[in-house]
Amino acid sequence: MKKKRFAMVFDISKCIDCKACTVACKAENNIPLVKDNYRNWITEGPLRGKYPKLGQSYIPGQCMQCANPPCEHVCPTSATYVNVDGIVLVDNKKCIGCKYCMTACPYDARYYNEKTGAVDKCTFCVQRTSVGRIPACVETCPTKVRVFGDLNDPESEVSKLLTKHPYRVEKPEIGTQPFLFYLV
Amino acid sequence: MTLKPSKGISRRKFMLLSACAAVGFGTMSIGKRFQALAASKDIIPLSDLGNRDVFTTCGMCVNKCGVIARVRNGVIEKLDPNPYFLKSRSMLCARGNAGVDSVYSPDRLKYPMIRTGQRGEGKFRRASWDEALDLVVKNLSDLAEKYGRAGTVFVSSEEFQEHFFTTFAECYGSPNTLRHPSLCLSSNIQGFGATFGTNPTPDVLNTDYIIMSGANRSEALITPDSIDMLTGSGGRRKLVYLDPRFTKTAAKADEWFPIRPGTDMAFILAMIHVIVKENLYDRKFVEEQTEGFDKLVPHIEAYSPEWAAAKCEIPAEDIRRIAREFAMAAPKAVYYQGRRSSFFDNDTQMRRAMAILNAIIGNWDKIGGMVPNSQIPLEGHEFVAPFYEDIPERLEANAATYLSEKDGSWKYFRDRVLEQKPYPVKGMMIYKQNPLVSVANREKTLKMMEQMEFICTIDITMNDTACYSDVLLPEATYLEREDPIESLGGIHPVLVWREPCIKPMYESRPNLWIMQELAKRMGDEMSASFNYTMQEYREHQVKNNPEILKALKEKGVYYEKDTPTYGQTIGKKLKTKSGKIEIFSQKYADKGLDPLPVYKHPESGPAGQYRLILGRTAYMTHGTTANNAFLFDIMSENHIWLHTSEAMKKGLKDGQMVKVKSPLTTESLRLLITEKIRPDCVYLSHGFGVLSKGQRLIFGKGGSDAALVEDFVEPISGNMAMHHTFVEVTAA
Amino acid sequence: MTTTITNSKNIIGFSVLGLGTLLGLVSVGYVLMIGHSNAYNLTRQIPWGILISTYVFFAVSCSGLCLVSSLGHVFGIKEFEAIGKRAILVAILALLTGFGVIAMELDHPFRMAIWVILSPNPLSAIWWMGTLYGLYLILLCIELYAFIKENHRLASLVGLVGFVVAISACSNLGAVFGLLEARPFWHGPYLPIFFILSALVSGCALLALIVYFNHSLRGIEMPPEYKKFMITLGKLQALLLGILLFFIIWKIIPGLYEKYPGIYEATMAALSGKLSFNFWFFEAFLGLILPFILLLNNSTRTPFGVMLAGLLTTVGVFFMRYDMVIAGQIVPMRISDGGKATGVLHYVPSVAEMGIVIGSICACLFVYVLIEKKFDLSHTGHH
Ligand SMILES: Nc1nc2c(c(=O)[nH]1)N[C@H]1C(S)=C(S)[C@@H](COP(=O)(O)OP(=O)(O)OC[C@H]3O[C@@H](n4cnc5c(=O)[nH]c(N)nc54)[C@H](O)[C@@H]3O)O[C@H]1N2
Ligand SMILES: Nc1nc2c(c(=O)[nH]1)N[C@H]1C(S)=C(S)[C@@H](COP(=O)(O)OP(=O)(O)OC[C@H]3O[C@@H](n4cnc5c(=O)[nH]c(N)nc54)[C@H](O)[C@@H]3O)O[C@H]1N2
Ligand code: SF4
Ligand code: SF4
Ligand code: SF4
Ligand code: SF4
Ligand code: SF4
Ligand SMILES: [Mo]
Repeated sequence: MKKKRFAMVFDISKCIDCKACTVACKAENNIPLVKDNYRNWITEGPLRGKYPKLGQSYIPGQCMQCANPPCEHVCPTSATYVNVDGIVLVDNKKCIGCKYCMTACPYDARYYNEKTGAVDKCTFCVQRTSVGRIPACVETCPTKVRVFGDLNDPESEVSKLLTKHPYRVEKPEIGTQPFLFYLV
Repeated sequence: MTLKPSKGISRRKFMLLSACAAVGFGTMSIGKRFQALAASKDIIPLSDLGNRDVFTTCGMCVNKCGVIARVRNGVIEKLDPNPYFLKSRSMLCARGNAGVDSVYSPDRLKYPMIRTGQRGEGKFRRASWDEALDLVVKNLSDLAEKYGRAGTVFVSSEEFQEHFFTTFAECYGSPNTLRHPSLCLSSNIQGFGATFGTNPTPDVLNTDYIIMSGANRSEALITPDSIDMLTGSGGRRKLVYLDPRFTKTAAKADEWFPIRPGTDMAFILAMIHVIVKENLYDRKFVEEQTEGFDKLVPHIEAYSPEWAAAKCEIPAEDIRRIAREFAMAAPKAVYYQGRRSSFFDNDTQMRRAMAILNAIIGNWDKIGGMVPNSQIPLEGHEFVAPFYEDIPERLEANAATYLSEKDGSWKYFRDRVLEQKPYPVKGMMIYKQNPLVSVANREKTLKMMEQMEFICTIDITMNDTACYSDVLLPEATYLEREDPIESLGGIHPVLVWREPCIKPMYESRPNLWIMQELAKRMGDEMSASFNYTMQEYREHQVKNNPEILKALKEKGVYYEKDTPTYGQTIGKKLKTKSGKIEIFSQKYADKGLDPLPVYKHPESGPAGQYRLILGRTAYMTHGTTANNAFLFDIMSENHIWLHTSEAMKKGLKDGQMVKVKSPLTTESLRLLITEKIRPDCVYLSHGFGVLSKGQRLIFGKGGSDAALVEDFVEPISGNMAMHHTFVEVTAA
Repeated sequence: MTTTITNSKNIIGFSVLGLGTLLGLVSVGYVLMIGHSNAYNLTRQIPWGILISTYVFFAVSCSGLCLVSSLGHVFGIKEFEAIGKRAILVAILALLTGFGVIAMELDHPFRMAIWVILSPNPLSAIWWMGTLYGLYLILLCIELYAFIKENHRLASLVGLVGFVVAISACSNLGAVFGLLEARPFWHGPYLPIFFILSALVSGCALLALIVYFNHSLRGIEMPPEYKKFMITLGKLQALLLGILLFFIIWKIIPGLYEKYPGIYEATMAALSGKLSFNFWFFEAFLGLILPFILLLNNSTRTPFGVMLAGLLTTVGVFFMRYDMVIAGQIVPMRISDGGKATGVLHYVPSVAEMGIVIGSICACLFVYVLIEKKFDLSHTGHH
């Protein structure tokens, strides 16, 4: 089978900051329920304008699944690695908890998971996506802000969205080559 | 296969479906996949692969979305959305995803309990079911003896097994059932009902123009409206949003106006004024399908946009423009009526104005308009309630003009209990309602409960009301229960049910069982009304079409068609007196009410005080979910919102503690300074500041709106009016 | 008479160090009991705290000591030959202490031992850090052995290799931070170079302390050649401090100039924000200006003055490491919280973190003083 390159596309104009994705992720991935522990998040964009003419966007984020991932480069034991589908993962048993990857990630995408004793981050729900299902956050999103798919497949919805619409990535100047795309 | 109505299936939808189809395949071969993955170190292997995917229905709020529960090793590991589920558009919200915690929360009610300490002290002892049930029946019998059968009130909120509770009330012989609508949508039902004979559903998916006032669909989630509002139709969609707060709906709206609270009617009347004066209404429709338009014309004469602008603080030119745009978009335009209408004491008439505005543009029963609900019929459950002599009327009979016989009015009912007039009510049976948190003026509810000789609560957790009860009966949660089939009405009517995902934990039991056991102890006559199993009950519900059961088992949902039918009522008599849409309500005139909505300006508060307004967040359901570990993780306290300019005047700092003082009480709250609210209002979300120490995560966190809010009332429907309270805010 | 005074001084000194060490041990026990996340004030946004900066302090001090002392036994500058053995001993102790501190910071020090070998990542600066400092520790031990056995050929050979490794190790430690593009305040070649320079400063400062106290502690008058050495050391240190001062100024100016996001906020935190007291008082005044003045002035450039300057600089450098580590993380990676200024993040070490830091310093001194008392480390070398 052809190699996959999983990616996620966000239509943030539809995000209502309902946090369904956050809870779905915590439930799906058994994330210890402590405030600092999460694999995905929604930031409230800056409040535009002055009362009563206001505007605001809500911007979902999670590990960008960088093609050039600094977290992998810095990991002394190669606990952080990239799998065949382009997903950046952590091998729990190799993680020594040095947290170098946490300081290296430009997106604050990682946290230390006490339960697994390793640094943790979004895995694109590898347990689901590798059996043909979609990630928990994508599946549950009420307004379908999130689209997941294989960029190596030109027929996938992510490919089509990215050919049809202009998009941006977060902090492109750092050269991480993120695979989370935000439609503009 | 088409799932979505007229707009066709999007590719994404299709993807979701195929993803779901892959689930079956995935579960079959998942073991092997896991082994392979484990070998490639991509995942940590699970020890046991015994899988069960249960199609059931979410029970975290009123929407009842479709759920697939992934049960692994006898544990509900994850709740996923049911992609077949038309109404919820294949989603679960934060609360839906958090549902597992209602099963596994350490704070749930595990065993029957009998109070040992003072009421409210939270001291209980574990009892056997027999002992607890015997005690309830003994009290019910004693109360009937002492005060008559009306001396016990049966309090409940909507739930699939609520029917057994109200059946029990009826069989027991009490006319006093007290349900949630008088805290929620009574005025809405009344206002639209008086006009259309029913409370229709706005066709949000297909409309081109929505005006929303007092309905916050990005946070107060109603499926499918919350989703369709954004999915909308091809770029032409316009959303105008009126709310004193910049909510997450405001963030999605094309235009937001921070309307002065309680003045929505002025805006609506002015829109009608423009549409009528400028001849923008649907003349043909008005002539053929409505009554009393001629009386409307002079009525709205005075309600010009300029007049309204002074009331609602939305510029006249905007009102005029919006009215024109709205009429131009007709019939694919809706003035969205929302749901909760427990805001102001003129809410029924305000909703009447909304209904009339919708009527005159002729959006009735058309695509993109106001569509009367359809329902898939189910065979009703018939039973013979024992006959008792001398059963009086409801306690609060005649208090409101149109009191719902079944739902009652919390406001009037509680007042009469406290007055002990016309007769005493000394017993309280509570099922799935939490009045100490949901009913305005908590102090009064506490007094009402104090004077009760017996209170029994059937719930799943130690909420405040349970904490003030004498006997607690633990119900199994929605994920543990087998529930009756429920017919969810709407543009796309569906049938749903619940299948148990796991056996009820601890000693919790489904309500049917509890009612059966109580009835058994009440005597043979009552017992006869509960003489069936859940399976028999369900089979009876679908006896005309047993295929339904199969569909439910396979997909968790049943519907007859996936496209809506419009125009079913066109040419037919509506359920109003005249059979037409009643712009002018003779019925109201006869009762001495305004037959056309007359504007009443809300009072202003004392200088330096703020109007307290209430509303939802997307991750909490009323007072029931704050203690859910997943949701507590997202929101662990409620904050009082205050506009930046006011905070500056007072020298208050963001995040500091403040005292919020209403005429009833003072609550300490953390301050949130924001641009997102009118300077003359403060806002507080619901569900914190609890009394019960049994809600361990949230006890001591935030403050209670129910304690602060005064209990004004809408006199036509008996609905609570919760936005008439003014508060002071001072540094703590 | 004198002996009783020294004795009671000794007892007090040892008790203080012993108590400090005990505090460290208690803290370690506490951390092992309740777990890192409960014991440390670290967050996902500031994952590195005072334990890392203390480790850096020790590791760079170790490198510095060797670099400076290699002036004697590698480069043959006569005056510096006097302190070879002591410097190496202290370097070993400092490095071991540093390793101890970082072991407490790592969640799985034992996993590390296995996986850095079985699954090495040569792209990782931390992998190199472990490797280089590990290698370095071995070299130091051999060097010490050579000194004790008075095998000068071996000593200067190992010393030469050690010199290279020391420079690599400490500049690589700078690179641990400098390679992170995500952290603009750290990013760039500045830190590796700065680490070498500041290592030299640390080394001189510590050397001054060692030379001074190894006499005063044993109650012996400092021989003239050591006095002369102290003065030379003072002059060298003055030069280094002067350079360091300019390094710091040239870190600040670009930080303010373009208002580059991430650098500007961190620089401002140091100048006028959360870290400003640390910066102005400890780093700049105590660590830099005051010693600089002491060392420039002929009348204060006495052995005591040089010692004092060294002490002040050592304290200053300790804070310099802390400020550097924290300032790099203080700017959130995700800005914007609904238009409210989130500002910079907040970190204060927890009691357990402080306990471990104090304990580690005390333990290091304790062992050093003990060895100093038990063994004769005086240089007996003749060439
Ligand atoms: N997440 C979530 N969703 C829910 C529920 C829940 O608890 N949580 N509950 C469900 C239930 S039972 C109901 S009834 C519905 C309620 O649904 P809604 O009625 O839409 O919700 P509310 O949040 O009560 O109120 C809506 C908005 O009215 C604004 N408002 C207050 N006063 C005025 C006024 O005078 N004029 C105008 N124009 N606006 C005003 C408030 O600021 C608030 O944002 O939500 C349902 N959906
Ligand atoms: N201040 C203020 N008051 C309000 C509102 C507001 O916005 N602000 N909103 C109003 C509105 S719109 C409504 S609809 C009402 C709702 O008011 P309520 O009907 O009282 O709703 P909840 O607070 O959801 O309480 C439901 C109770 O049911 C319990 N429960 C949950 N699941 C089960 C179950 O499976 N079985 C049993 N037996 N119990 C269960 C929960 O523990 C909880 O105690 O509140 C109204 N009151
Ligand atoms: S679930 Fe979707 S709409 Fe909700 S917060 Fe997440 S991305 Fe936004
Ligand atoms: S976002 Fe961060 S954690 Fe994810 S791949 Fe990129 S650098 Fe690594
Ligand atoms: S914390 Fe774990 S995953 Fe991160 S760099 Fe260190 S060893 Fe690698
Ligand atoms: S893809 Fe999976 S792991 Fe990643 S944020 Fe979404 S739910 Fe979490
Ligand atoms: S809206 Fe959320 S809580 Fe309500 S039924 Fe649907 S998923 Fe459950
Ligand atoms: Mo409601």
